[in-house]
Amino acid sequence: MSQFLEYIKMALFNILSNKVRSLLTMLGIVIGISSVILIMSLGNGAKESITEQLSTVGNGQVAIVSMGSERITIEDLEYIQANVEGVQAYLVTTMSEGTITTPKGTFTGYAYGCNENNYLFEQYSTLSNGHYFTKEDYDAGRMVCYIAEDDAIKLFGNTDVIGMPIDIEIQGKRLSYTIIGLTSYVTESNSLISYDYENAPIYLNVPLSTLDQRLGLNATQTLGYTDATLMLASNINTQDTCNQIIRILDSRHNCLGEDQFIFQSFNDILATINVVINMITLFIALVAAISLFVGGIGVMNIMLVSVTERTREIGIRKALGAKTRSIMLQFLLESGFITMVGGILGILIGLGGAYVISSIISMAMPEYAFTPSISPIVILITTLFSSSVGLFFGIYPARKAAKLSPIEALRRM
Amino acid sequence: MEPLIHIENIMKIYNPGENAVHALDGISLDIATGEFVAIIGQSGSGKSTLMNILGCLDVPTSGTYILSGQDVSNLDDNALSEIRNQQIGFIFQGFNLIPNLTALENVELPLIYRNVPTSERHECAVEALKIVGLEHRMRHKPSELSGGQQQRVAIARAIAAKPPVILADEPTGNLDSSSTREIMKILHNLHDSGRTVVLITHDVQIAENAKRVVRIMDGKIESDKTKEEGALSCQNKQ
Ligand SMILES: Nc1ncnc2c1ncn2[C@@H]1O[C@H](COP(=O)(O)OP(=O)(O)OP(=O)(O)O)[C@@H](O)[C@H]1O
Ligand SMILES: [Mg+2]
Repeated sequence: MSQFLEYIKMALFNILSNKVRSLLTMLGIVIGISSVILIMSLGNGAKESITEQLSTVGNGQVAIVSMGSERITIEDLEYIQANVEGVQAYLVTTMSEGTITTPKGTFTGYAYGCNENNYLFEQYSTLSNGHYFTKEDYDAGRMVCYIAEDDAIKLFGNTDVIGMPIDIEIQGKRLSYTIIGLTSYVTESNSLISYDYENAPIYLNVPLSTLDQRLGLNATQTLGYTDATLMLASNINTQDTCNQIIRILDSRHNCLGEDQFIFQSFNDILATINVVINMITLFIALVAAISLFVGGIGVMNIMLVSVTERTREIGIRKALGAKTRSIMLQFLLESGFITMVGGILGILIGLGGAYVISSIISMAMPEYAFTPSISPIVILITTLFSSSVGLFFGIYPARKAAKLSPIEALRRM
Repeated sequence: MEPLIHIENIMKIYNPGENAVHALDGISLDIATGEFVAIIGQSGSGKSTLMNILGCLDVPTSGTYILSGQDVSNLDDNALSEIRNQQIGFIFQGFNLIPNLTALENVELPLIYRNVPTSERHECAVEALKIVGLEHRMRHKPSELSGGQQQRVAIARAIAAKPPVILADEPTGNLDSSSTREIMKILHNLHDSGRTVVLITHDVQIAENAKRVVRIMDGKIESDKTKEEGALSCQNKQ
C-alpha cells in the first residue's frame, strides 16, 4: 500500500514538472466536463423553476375525461358536487372560432363558452370592472359576456365598454352579446407563464348555454361533454377523491370496468413537461459528452508523446527492476490524475458558469430568473466519468510504455 | 562452492535469418562470489550483449544461465525485472540517471521497486551516497553534477539495494582520467568490501584493475586469465 502512495507521488511529481503540458492536456477534459455540468445545472434549475411555478397553476384542479362514447353531463357533475366531499365547483367549456364585429372593425376571435364558475378556475385574471355572468344568466341563456381589458382595447380602442354590444359570427350564425364585465391579467413577477402577449387571441367569455342553444354545437347540455374540470378542496386526498368520482361516473353510465372515464391532474401534465425538459437536457449533455470524448483523445495523444519522450526513463526504471504493472500504474495514475483534476476544475467552472449565466438572465430578463441546481450524484458521476476517461484513454499509452524492452529503451538516446 | 554466475554455451543471434548476427557464439563462464572480473574486447566483439544477458536485461537465444543457483535463461519479462531488482546493480557508460529526480531519489529507485519502506529506503540510499562520497550533494539534480559525480550517483544506485553482482559497462567511457581514477577506486573498494564486480571495458589499462581478465573476440572467449599468471602485462608488452 505504501508503494501505491509512492506511485501517486511519482505521478503527481511528473504532472507538476510539466505544468503547462498538464494544463493543456486537462483543457479538453475541463471543457467537456464544464459544459456537461453547465447544461445539467441550468437545465435542472430551469426545470425546478418551471415545476415550482406550474405547481401553483393546477392547484386543486382535476380534469375528468371521457375516453369512449359516454359523455359527462351536467347532471353527473351536479350529482358529484352534491355527493362527493371536497368537490367545490365544476367547469365545462367549449371554444368556437368566429368573426367579431365592432365599430372599429372585424377581428378573428373565439367564443369561449363556460359555466358561471369559470372565474374560479381562472388564476391569472381578476375582474376589473362590471361583473361576471351568474348562474341565473347561464340558466336563462342570457346573451352576456365578459372580456379582457387588452381585448377591449384591441376591439374598441378603449376600456370603456361595459354595456356595449358585440357580435360574433360562428359558422354562419350571428350571435349578439352585451359586455357586462372586464378582467385584467395578474402578471405575477417571476412567472414564466404569461397570457399577456402580442397577437394573443381574443376571447369572449360567454355562458355555454347560449352557444349550445343557438349553435347546436357538438358538446350540448343534453348530450354532455367529453371533459370537465373539477375544483377540489386542498385538504382532501386527490387520488382517492378522483377514484371515487370515476366510480360514480362509471355506475351512472353503467360502464363499470370499461375505463370510459379517466382523470388527469395537473401533476401528470407536469410530469410530461419534466420528461421533455429532461430529454432536451440529456440531448445537450450528450453533445457535451462528445467534447469530453475528444478531450480523452487529447489525453491519449499527450500521454503517447510523453511515453516517447520518456522512453529512456522507462528503460532505466525497468533495468532497475520496475515490472510491467509498475510502469502501467505510473502512466495510468498520471492520466487518471490529469483527468480527475480536469474534471474537478470542469465542475467548478461549469457551476460557476451556470451561476454567471443565471445571474445575467435574472438581471436582463427578471421574469425568467431561476437558480441553477445540480445534484451531488451528477457531480460524483461526472468526476468518476472523467477519471475513467483518463484511465480508458491512458491504457494504450501505458501499455505501450510498459511493454518496452529495457535494452531497446536504453539504447535510444 | 557453487559459482555465483554460471553460463554455459550461451548463444545470442540477432536477426535470425539471412543476415543473422552471431553476437555471442557459445560462451561459457563461471564467476565466483567476491571476484573482480574485467571483460575486454574490441568494439563489436559482443561485450555489451554479454553484459545484457548477465544483467538479465536480455535472454540468450540458447544456452544456460544460472545466477545464484537459479536458472534464469528462460524467464519472462516480469520475472527478469524481479531478478534485476534483487540480484544486479548496473553501472552504465551513459550514467542513465533520471534527469528530473534528485541524486537521492535516483538512488532510491531500485529500493522503491523492491518495496522497501520509506524510512529504511532513505537510510540505505544515504548510506550508499556516503560510500561514493556524495552525501552532501544528494539534493542535486543530475544536471547540477559533473560527469564523474553523476557516475558516482549511478554507482550509489547500483549498490544501494546491496545486490550480489555489480555490472559495469564501460563505466569510465565518458569520463576524464581523474574521474576515471576516482571511479576505479570506488570499484576497488567495493570489491575489497566483498562484492562481486564485473567490469566491461575495451581499455586494457582499466582492465588491469581487475584480478581476472576475460577477453572476448567475435562472440567467443579468447582468453581468461587471473593476474597471478601475469598474463596481461605479458600480452601488453608483445
Ligand atoms: N539489437 C541488435 N540487433 C542486431 N545486431 C546487434 C544488436 N545489438 C548488437 N548487435 C550486434 O552484435 C554485435 C555485438 O555487439 P555489442 O554491442 O555486444 O558489442 P560491444 O562489444 O559492446 O561493442 P562496443 O565496444 O562498441 O560497445 C555487433 O556486431 C552488433 O552490431
Ligand atoms: Mg558496448
